[in-house]
Amino acid sequence: MGLPDASGDLSSEMEVDAFRRLFPLRFYERHLAESIRPDGRPLGRARDTTIALGAVTSADGSALAKIGSTTMLAAVKMEVMTPSMESPDEGCIAIDFHMPPICSPIVRPGRPAEAAPVVSKQLSDTISSSGMINLKELSLVSGKAAWMAYLDIYCLDADGALFDAALLSAVAALFHLQIPAVSLNDDGKIVVSEEDGGKLEKEPVNKEKRKLTLRSIPFSLTCILHKNYILADPTSEEEAIMETLVTVVLDSSSQLISLYKPGGAVLAYTSAVQDCIALTRQRVRELQKILDEANSGMEVD
Amino acid sequence: MAGRPGTNPTTYSPSLKTQKTRSTIFKDQEIDWVRPDGRGFQQCRPAFFRTGAVTAASGSAYAEFGNTKVIVSVFGPRESKKAMMYSDIGRLNCNVSYTTFATPVRAQGSDRKEFSSMLHKALEGAIILETFPKTTVDVFALVLESGGSDLPVVISCASLALADAGILMYDLVTSVSLSCLGKNLVIDPILEEESYQDGSLMITCMPSRYEVTQLTITGEWSTPKINEGMQLCLDACSKLANIMRSCLKEATTSSQE
Repeated sequence: MGLPDASGDLSSEMEVDAFRRLFPLRFYERHLAESIRPDGRPLGRARDTTIALGAVTSADGSALAKIGSTTMLAAVKMEVMTPSMESPDEGCIAIDFHMPPICSPIVRPGRPAEAAPVVSKQLSDTISSSGMINLKELSLVSGKAAWMAYLDIYCLDADGALFDAALLSAVAALFHLQIPAVSLNDDGKIVVSEEDGGKLEKEPVNKEKRKLTLRSIPFSLTCILHKNYILADPTSEEEAIMETLVTVVLDSSSQLISLYKPGGAVLAYTSAVQDCIALTRQRVRELQKILDEANSGMEVD
Repeated sequence: MAGRPGTNPTTYSPSLKTQKTRSTIFKDQEIDWVRPDGRGFQQCRPAFFRTGAVTAASGSAYAEFGNTKVIVSVFGPRESKKAMMYSDIGRLNCNVSYTTFATPVRAQGSDRKEFSSMLHKALEGAIILETFPKTTVDVFALVLESGGSDLPVVISCASLALADAGILMYDLVTSVSLSCLGKNLVIDPILEEESYQDGSLMITCMPSRYEVTQLTITGEWSTPKINEGMQLCLDACSKLANIMRSCLKEATTSSQE
């Protein structure tokens, strides 16, 4: 089949679209040979990222993160539980990732997406192994009551790099989280303290709303390996054509938290892994800046 | 997740259940209800619409009415499931679900089957199904935050998403609900008002054609009250349709630039 030439009239534009659909791999390889991607990005650059904190008012902490078109909404709701015998001073976090049918044409109601439990497990492993949250901060009354933080992340638009956007929104939601002021009432139950000082018979357990102290925040970057090329932050089209993914999670001091390469046709030699880590290191700096800006924007209000 | 026991621990939400008993509010018929957000009884919340919220879908819309936030995606017309019989008119498939954090107390985030079927009934009268035979149009709604009057917002947002997807319809479909609190009719109720209501009236209509596609009334209503309620709602529906139309026009002019 003759390759379309670069003339600008409509007939050759239609051919480009058809070529993209019929021979996607050749379409991409022509771009990669020029070190560029169809959306104009150089190979190592991620898409524009934005974070908005406090998107949902009914939750104790929430954040909306967008990487290109991929949109994730994360929200934390706090409930009270009795801590276990082995760790009476620690609370708990339950992380769940959902892909509702709105996000992608492949998800149907009643038939959950394959990617959802995989990303869910990856997220909970990453957040717990990064040591970002000190579970002792979630304790209320030692041995009797502790916080259970339900962190739910919903994918609102799926366009590749789901894990990156989900982790970013989860971290931002935890940043935004404000633990409510509660007190212990006579029945031994924890209730929200009334704003006007309240009755003195209730003994305040948590005097005022406070935020969690987060250390070593994890940031991630997903890359695609294809022949000798490494593409950072793939779109869903790129993920569908070139299937070898590598996800690197680093914390803010550039320590490696997780490296995830689930099989794939391309083998990752040491050089490829080192390149991915270098790209991630750069990305961590960008993401740290974006998160700080979003946070300071909130404090001004 | 250190310290996580084998089975899921039971948790409870610490929020106060300040359910002032209804009798103390409405015992004295002279005392009127004051709306917590300071609106008049016949004033709706300011409506915000945006189309094109989800790029993966054929058409989508985001609606925000006060604290009620909804996203609707439309996929299609696409192939019907293999098990379905041939049909020379199109099929409409609707699904409404809530996030776990939408309600003040965390819930399981399940599909709302009754809302899904009500959304279906509200939209099927307005869509010209003959234009897409043998195929299915899927309308999926996700309620991000529930601040009262959820289903009407979902219906209005769904018709905007269908317009964004280019599905042919007879007219935009708008929906407004009304609560009856004692002797007062309160339009576009918030969650608190819905919990105290004596009855509710929800109208879904096609404003330009002055046709009603769905009418749902619960509670005890006298005929003059129903007439008054319907008039208020139809009025609000046509104003809402104007807002939706201007949103669509803005979307097309900005895409042409």
